[in-house]
Parts: sequence; C-alpha cells; structure tokens
Amino acid sequence: MPRYAMVIDQERCVGCQSCTVACKSEWEVPNGSARTKVRQTGTVGQFPKLSTAFYVSQCNHCDRPTCVPACPTGATYQDQNGVVRVNRDLCIGCGSCVAACPYGARYINAEIGKVDKCDFCASRLSRGLQPACVATCPAHAKIFGDLEDSSSDVFQFVYRGAAKRMETANIAIGPNVYYAGKPEHAELALASFAPLPPRTLAPGKVWSSLLNKFVFLAVGATFLGQAVAFFHQLSTGEKQFEE
Amino acid sequence: MATKITRRKFLSSTSTVAALTTAGAATVKAQSRPPSWRGDTRVEQIATNCEMCFWRCGVMAEVADGKVLKLSGNPQHPLTKGQLCARGNAGTQLLYDADRLKYPLIRTGKRGEGKFRRASWDEALDLFAKRLQELKQKYGPESVAYLPHGVAAGFFGTLMKAYGTPNSAEPAFAQCRGPRDVGYQLTFGRAVNSPEPVDLEESKCMVLIGSHIGENVFTSQVTNFITGLQRGAKLIVVDPRFSTAASKADHWLPIKPGTDIALLLSWANVLIAENLYDKEYVEQYATGMKELEAHVKEFSPEWAESITEIPAAQICETAHVMADAKPAVVVHPGRHVTWYGDDTQRARAMAILTALLGAYGRKGGMFLPSKLKQGRIPLPSFPESERGRVDGGGSIFPLAGEESQGLSHTMVQATISGTPYPIKAWIVYGQNILESIPQRQNTLKAIEHLEFMAVVDVLPVEQTNYADIVLPEATYLERYDPPHVVTTSKRPFVAVRQPAIAPLYESKPGWWIAKQMASRLGLSDYFPWKDPDDHLSRLMQPLGINLAELKSLGAVSFEGHPYIEDRGGTDGPLFPTQSGKIELFSSVLKDLKFDPLPKFSAPEQPPPGYIRLIYGRAPMHSFARSENNSWLNDLMPENQVWIGREIAAKFRVQDGQKVILENQDGVKSLPIAVRATAAIREDCAYMVHGFGTLGQGLTKTYKKGASDSQLITRVAIDPITGATGMRVNFVRVLPANGERS
Amino acid sequence: MAQRHIKKHHVAIVLLHWFNAISWLLELSTGAGLIVSPYYRFAPMWYLQMMEGVFGSRANMLRFHIAVGLTWTAVFLVYAIFGFRNYLRIEVLQNEIGLDRDDVRWLRVRTLLLLGRTKDPLPPQGVYNAGQKLFALLVYTMVPLIMLTGLTMTFHWFGTAFVAWAMVLHFFAVGMVVSGLMIHVYMGAVFPEEKPAFYSMITGVVDELYAYRHHFKWWRSVKIQQQAWRAELTSKEEAIGTDEKPHQDPRTDAAPLISRPQSGDRR
Repeated sequence: MPRYAMVIDQERCVGCQSCTVACKSEWEVPNGSARTKVRQTGTVGQFPKLSTAFYVSQCNHCDRPTCVPACPTGATYQDQNGVVRVNRDLCIGCGSCVAACPYGARYINAEIGKVDKCDFCASRLSRGLQPACVATCPAHAKIFGDLEDSSSDVFQFVYRGAAKRMETANIAIGPNVYYAGKPEHAELALASFAPLPPRTLAPGKVWSSLLNKFVFLAVGATFLGQAVAFFHQLSTGEKQFEE
Repeated sequence: MATKITRRKFLSSTSTVAALTTAGAATVKAQSRPPSWRGDTRVEQIATNCEMCFWRCGVMAEVADGKVLKLSGNPQHPLTKGQLCARGNAGTQLLYDADRLKYPLIRTGKRGEGKFRRASWDEALDLFAKRLQELKQKYGPESVAYLPHGVAAGFFGTLMKAYGTPNSAEPAFAQCRGPRDVGYQLTFGRAVNSPEPVDLEESKCMVLIGSHIGENVFTSQVTNFITGLQRGAKLIVVDPRFSTAASKADHWLPIKPGTDIALLLSWANVLIAENLYDKEYVEQYATGMKELEAHVKEFSPEWAESITEIPAAQICETAHVMADAKPAVVVHPGRHVTWYGDDTQRARAMAILTALLGAYGRKGGMFLPSKLKQGRIPLPSFPESERGRVDGGGSIFPLAGEESQGLSHTMVQATISGTPYPIKAWIVYGQNILESIPQRQNTLKAIEHLEFMAVVDVLPVEQTNYADIVLPEATYLERYDPPHVVTTSKRPFVAVRQPAIAPLYESKPGWWIAKQMASRLGLSDYFPWKDPDDHLSRLMQPLGINLAELKSLGAVSFEGHPYIEDRGGTDGPLFPTQSGKIELFSSVLKDLKFDPLPKFSAPEQPPPGYIRLIYGRAPMHSFARSENNSWLNDLMPENQVWIGREIAAKFRVQDGQKVILENQDGVKSLPIAVRATAAIREDCAYMVHGFGTLGQGLTKTYKKGASDSQLITRVAIDPITGATGMRVNFVRVLPANGERS
Repeated sequence: MAQRHIKKHHVAIVLLHWFNAISWLLELSTGAGLIVSPYYRFAPMWYLQMMEGVFGSRANMLRFHIAVGLTWTAVFLVYAIFGFRNYLRIEVLQNEIGLDRDDVRWLRVRTLLLLGRTKDPLPPQGVYNAGQKLFALLVYTMVPLIMLTGLTMTFHWFGTAFVAWAMVLHFFAVGMVVSGLMIHVYMGAVFPEEKPAFYSMITGVVDELYAYRHHFKWWRSVKIQQQAWRAELTSKEEAIGTDEKPHQDPRTDAAPLISRPQSGDRR
C-alpha cells in the first residue's frame, strides 16, 4: 500500500508560485485561498551576509492528523495511502478542522460552503499523473512519491538523506511534506512558519466540555425520574382507570 | 473524484454565443491528442504555446464544450518539457477576463476621454482603411508609424511595410535587449537572441550581472539554472539587491549601481594578469588580445573596489572561481539591459569575459545556434521610402539597423518635433506604450500631435483612451500565430500556436485583421496565403515536417550542433564577424568613433536626499501585462518599494507604510507600500515593474501599487544603439498621508 | 349506561403527532450515528458502525437525516401557514402552555404525591395538565431552534461561524427535548393512569369519566356547552307545529353557531 509523501527541496525552489496557480487552476480554488502556496521567510542576517528561505504551505497529510478527530461528522478522513481527504458529501462547513490544523492548510470554499485542501491530487494519481503542482514546477523543487518504495526519490530524501519535518517540540504530528536542502534554510522556514497549536472553535469547546455532560445529565435525570415513578407504580399496584 | 464544474458552467453562455457569432472566421483546425478525461467530462488536449510572456513555453489546453478548463505544460515541448510557470497556468484568466476588449470601438468624445461607441468590424475596418488612404495622400505613407510588440503583430507589420512606411518601433530593442545583441554581435558575430543560448545546466560556474533568475521567470531557464546549481555549479551574483538568485549564490556582490563595467574590466584584468584565461582558445579563435591586455592593465581589483564598493579580495576570489570552472562558465548576457547609457559597452565587456574564459561555443558556456530555415512566402517587394526612417535607426545610430526593430523613444520625439518629417498617425499593436516607453510625458505630448491613432489589443490598457479606433484582438488561446522557430536552443525546434477555442466576443486574430485591412487597401498580394493552415504549411514546407504531427505534438525538434566540436560545414562560420574570429578589439566600433574596448565612466550620482530607482520582475507577473489577471492579481495585487533600513529611518518611514516616491523632476508616484529590508543597498530603491496603471478599463489593477515607468522621466541614451538607459532616475520617499511618522 | 366520549384531538393532530414521533425516531437514530469525532461523540462504536452499515455510507446517512429533517420542517411549516389563525389565539395558547394558579399548585402536589409525601388532592386542570403544558413550552421553544439550526447547517447560512454554533445549539435543543421525551413517553405509554390519554392520541376521544377526573375544568366547559346545545335543541323541538322556519345549516350561516373554539376541538 503506497504511503504518499512530498519533499520540498528548498535549494531548488525559487518561490515562483507556479505550483500555487497550477493547483488553483486544477481545483478551482477561489481567490483569497490556496491549497498550496509558496511563502518566503524574511531576510535574516547582517548585510551583506544575508539569508532567506522558501516554504510551501499546504496540507502535510500528517501521520497523526489533528484535523481528522476534530471533524464532527467524520467528513475529513485519512485514506489507506495516508492522504488526508475531505468527503464533500459529509462536510457541513463548520470549520472545526480549519482551526484544528497547525499548518493552516485548510480553507472554507465560499462557493460551495465546504472545506477544501490539498489532497495530493488524488484523482490525478488514480490516472497515473503527478500532482499538478509537482508536474508544473520549473525548478523540479517538489518531489512526490511513495515512502514504501525504496527506489523512489522521496524514500532517498527521507530515509537516506537529511530531509526534515516541520515539527516543533510542542507540535510533532508527523507531517509528510519534508524539507531538503541546507539545514539553515529548513531552520529558517521553521522559525518563520512554525506550526501553531491546533485550536478548537468556541462552539466546539462548549460542546466537548459542557454540552455532552449537560445533555446527558438532563436526559439521565429525567430518565431516572421516570424510572423512580415506574418502580413506584409497580410497588403500589397498577391503578387502572375504571371503565 | 468527480469535480463539479461550477465556475466553468457559468461561462457556458458567453462562449456559446461567441462561437456562433465567429463561426465565419476560418481558423487553423486544431489537431489534438486523443481525448482524455477530467472527472466525468471528456476533454480534448490541444497543443499550443503560451504568450503570457515571450518565452512561448509549450502549453496543453484542456478543452470541453468550447471552454478551456485548464492549461498545463506540454511534455513534448523540446525547450520547456512540460513545465509551466504561474503566468502560464493563469492564462485562462486572460481568456475569461471580463475587462477584455470585446468589440471594435470608434471614438466619440475627445481624444483621451475614453468615450467610444461600439461598431461593427466592417465599419471599423472601413474607417481605418479610409484614414490610412487619406494620410497616404496628404502626408505620404511614412507619416504613419507602427508601434508593435509580440508575435501576432508580425502580420500587421507586413501590412505596414506594404503600405509604405519604414517607421516601426518595437521596444524589444531600444528599451530592452538591443545593446546586448549589438555588443555580442560585434564580438562574436551573432546577436544573443531569445531564448538566450546559455548552457546553464552543464555549467560549472554561472555569473549573473543584474539578472534575477527566479524572480524573472522563464520556465526552461529556471529549470536549467536550478539543474546547473544542483550539479554543483558555483553561482556568482552581481546585484545591488539580495534577489532570489543572490540567495542561492556562493558569492553575492552587492555592487554599487552603474559600476558593472568596472567590475567586468577588473575581472578581465585578473584573468589576464594571473594567466588564468583560456590561452589556447583565445589564440585559436580571437583577435585583439594584445590590445585588450594593454587596455585592462590599469583596471586592478583595487581600482575596481573604489568604484564598485566590492572588496578587491572578493573580486579576485570570484575571478579565480570563474577561472577554475572554465570553459564551462556562463556569463549570462542578461535580457533587459538598457540601464545607464553605456549598455552596449557593458555587453561588450561581458562578451570579452566570456571569450577569455573560452566559454563561447563550449559546453557549459554559451552554445551556438543551429540552422533552421523555415520557408519564405514570396511577396512583392515592399515600396522603398526615399525619406527613410525618423527614428535614426541605421543613421544616427548606425548599429540600430533594420534588424533593430526600431527605436520607440526617438519615434516619439520625431512625432513631437515633426523632424525630419511629420508623423501624423500611430498604429499601436499589442504594445503598452505608456508603460513600455520611458518618459511618458513625451509620449502623451506626441499623441497630441497625431491626427489619427489606432490601437489593436486584447486588454483596454491605458493608451486605449487616446485611440480613434480600437480593435479587439483575440488572445493567444484563440488564434493562430506564425510558428515559433527557435535556433538558440541545443536542439532547434519549431513550435506551433493554434487556437484552443474560437475567439470570444467579437475579437479576431491578428492575421485576419491584417488580411481584411490588406484587401481594403489593395495590398492583398502581400498576403497570398488563404488561411492559417496555408500559411503554416508554406512556412514549414522546406523543413519536411508532418503538419498533423506538429499540431498534435505542439513542436518538432531537429538535431543541433551547439558546441564548436560538433560544427560542420553546413553550420556556417563559427564567428561570423568581419575577421571571422572573435573580435576582442572592435574595429567596427573604432571606425564609428566609439571606444573599441569598453571603458568605465561613472554614471551621475543621486542628488543629496535622493536614491536611485531600480526596477525588476516578479515571478507571478509579466511586465505590465498580467496585473489585471484575476489569479495573478490575487497573488500579488500591488508592488512594494524596497529600501534599506537605514535610509527608511532617514526618510522617517516604516516597513509597511504607504509612501509616495517623488523623482528628481518632481513627478510623484501613486501610493506604494514600503519594504524596509536589509536585502538592498542603502543607495537604491527597487520596485517591480508593471503596477500603478492609469488605465481605468483594467478594473482589477487600476491605480493599484505604483508605476516605475511614470517615474522614469529621464533616460541615458546609449550612443551606439540609441537605447534608453532607464536606471538614471532618483527618488525620495515621502509618507503618503503627508505627515512624517 | 353507554360509554360517553369527548373529542379531544382533531384527526390532523393525531396524524401530526405520530408523524412527529416517527420523524423524531429516525432523526435521533441517524443524528446519533453522524457524530463520530472522538471529541463529541456519545454513541458507542458498535452503534456507529451498525448505522453506517445500514445506510451504506455516512454520507447517505446525512442525506437521509437532511431529507427527513426537511420534510418534517416542511410539514410543520405548511401546518403553520394554514392553521395559524386557529391557534395563534390567546385562549388556545393559554390552554396549551399558560400556567394558572391551579397549574402551579398541581406541579407541587404532583411531585409530593410521587414521593409519597402528601395526601392532598390534585387541583383541577384544563385540557392539558401542568406537566403537559411545561413539555409543550419546551417543545415550542426548542423545535424552532432545531429547525433553524438544521437549515443553517444544511444550506450553510450566514457562513462558517454560524454553522459551527448551529451544530452545538442543534444538539443542545435536541437534548432538551429528549429529556422532556423521557417523561412524555413514560407518562403517555407506561403510566397506567394516563392510558386513556394515550388512546386518545389514536382515537381522538377520551372517556368522560377520565376527563371529569383528570381534566375537570375542560370537562366542565364541554358540559356547559353541551347543555347550551341541548337547551337550544329543546326550544327548537317545542317550536315544531307552529310556523317555525326550517333550520338553517349552521355552516352556511353568516354567524357561526359556535362563536369561539373550545378546547379539544381546534387547529
């Protein structure tokens, strides 16, 4: 079973956004949102010893995604290839998963009222094509493949090379978009675009902390109340209404 | 996963109507690959090439129901091999841009008001032809000047020549590549051309003078650049700004603007003094070495350091890096090189450096173009004009001859002055003249002298407001254009441009407009071909290409002989100069009373309180063409002005603050956001070109950001080519709200 | 003596009640099966898997939940549009949810009775007793909330933030009604004293003695009305033989025979 992953070679990337637009074109991503987008860190260092790095913000199809459990209806799920996907037929567009993603990879598609994000171009993969962003990149900076295939480039980068995950001490959920190239560029990218703690929306917090308890208390109490009444009824004998 | 085509469904009404109304126009029958699928929609794949910029990368257009669903790279294209940049991917948003010119327009208000009425093609073309005939009678055909740009403009160019005017000026020469092409032609016998024949992927050392590959994106050039770097090539970047390329460089030389010639001469000095140059190569292939050696003796690294502000040690070090890598060194000739008025000499210096490193015609350096002769369609000879050109090409600027495509700004000046003879009309075809030609104040003044102005374009760029007749051209996705014949690639090839869909609204392809005008002007003999298919087959005939295959694959390539060792008798001379060798010392220049070897002269420095304005490109935009594109605009709706942190403090502005730039002539820009950064020298301000348009028809980008062109009110004329050096304007930074923070 | 019955529920009410009950069963079972997030779910895993199996996919379950929900909402909307004149009246609302002094005392006495702490008699009640009135009040407030939040989620009204809150409110309102249902179902279906009430929700009528004992105020008003009818009929009978005009069908009369709807026969 393939386990898909991607490697961003920061030394190759020039930040041209070809991937952003190819993806936008392939998946009708509305203006203002992006499934994948290249970001550039600020310039660090002292003139003229300067440094900057490129980072690609998109779904990382993590090993332990925080978005999947956050979805009330289970519309967001991880398939057998490790690709985190959204079932549009189950999504109600509540946005819980958007808040739960540490990488800010998801967005609400206002045109359809549902959540969208990179799915490694699942329908292209099934046709034997590369993801749109990978296919278009002039610098061949996005490398895509199967981590279970030892002959694949991603395997080499991840297991033989020094490809890094964008993880911090607090947030280490196993992102499967790795970063290759100079270590200082990966560090710079991580410093500028570190994953943030997954958030729960206010209604979600109310639900998980209060609501279940409250509702079950109410239902339980009324149920118990009736159970008491029932036993009372049994003990005092059936008082049938006389005809 | 079946993709619901929501946005695309909405477009169906416009394209169906358009398809019905344009059914009459014969188009090249687009041969396409076997259909494939997008979700549950059957799509046809049509191979063509892109024109979001001028690299013309191979494109596959997915078409269903008369709509273009998506553009991707064409894997069969010999140059770009399936890659496509951000602008190429966004081509559909040009096609479906609601701001497009849709119908022929005839002016109703005053010139400049932008008031038009819709007209039929017949009415507009009849009027156009009538005006041209009137002008010919009254003032002579030379009074009509043609200002084109782009591939489709070629058909109309033939028409203009047939009409009898020698006056044609495309900015590609005097506002862009001219000095480079002349400089290299003088040295090696060949212009550089496009795509630049630089063997980046095989090089062991790349030297970029101002070239900002990565922000300046030409798809295959980026691919080759990165490939070369990945293979271990050393990168030397000479740029006042820490560009993307500089961020990947082994050596970044933050040079003082305008002093590149000093650096180049100093490198030559080091290579010669330390005997590091390719002696064998120079002895075999070059002349003028003695003169060169004597000339550069005084240009030591220490001398250069005082001028360029680059440490002498670094100059030496980088010279050694180049020498170690020779002959696989690319000294990139650049592309837009009209900077300071000494640009031809700078190109000469770069060519000389290339020759010293033995890189011209060698693997990893600059490779040689291969012959690819397409057919010629025999035409009657064009009328000769006794009055000659007004722009000084070939006369005042002897090296800006026929091939030079004209000098736009001198054309503008001639229109204003009326000397050597009056220019009474301008035909502007696909050129954004108020952005492409510097000193727009002159351009606007020249327009006042015109009796007639016609504009053919796809989008309502600013000059549309000044036209008498506006004709809507179809986009590159809707038209046939002459095939792209490329000889400056390692395998020469021919690529086709064919329509993916029929033109929308009432737009028409350039060839149709030209033919229609020709028949009205009695010049049909100059368009003896029936239709695009006929045109294409006549051009392709001597190459023996199967047209169906060409249309299906998009491109056909041939064997090339890129390196000296591959060359045979049929390739022609290695160095088609007068002497047959590389001319380090240029006797041609000497005869014309120019410096036969490059010399450095310092450009004018900014007055106190001002910094130099420099400009460049962003990877998601093409010049001033793409800013109205919905997707590209979303990625970058405005530009910023980069200035150093200290100078920002001096101007009392902060990072992110909106400011106004005021140049040395008091011209003020629109508000623009500051980027206060360490990534640029303190003595210059950098902005991306193409924003701040005053064309209100471009609704998404109207007055967004600021225009560098509007601030370029002074130019430095290169005396050899007449090219306009544009980095000679200075600005100071004022807070936009008038208050200093 | 023949059993005498009083009409309590119009046939529309009967049908509506059972339609509602079935809809609630369907919606509760599918709704519980839809919430799978470990942060929010309450149904056990076997239940979730079983429901997914029954529908083939959870997407189908959601479609079913929405279909039934929309139908349920639509039926009540139609009912509201056509019937609001009949029940959006003070007397009607007072009968259904208005608590008078007797009702408040009834609540206290009934609770103490259940706990065996009193031997006081229950105060007289109207057509619905105080407990039933409280339940009606709960339903009237919660059901519109359930409908609105359900529509918000189905059609993504007002954007994501609203949808997120709608989820929570939907669940809360449903939970409140389910608590009320615990009592309503027990009282209706299990508690023997109220068996006649349960049958009235099928037949539409209750036994007079039951009405006299459990809903005295209503029984009295019905009897008063019946006496008035009998008095009128008697006077009409005695007038036969004299020059009496034939009786006009009251339904064609300009003035209806019954000027105000009585409890038990409205909507």
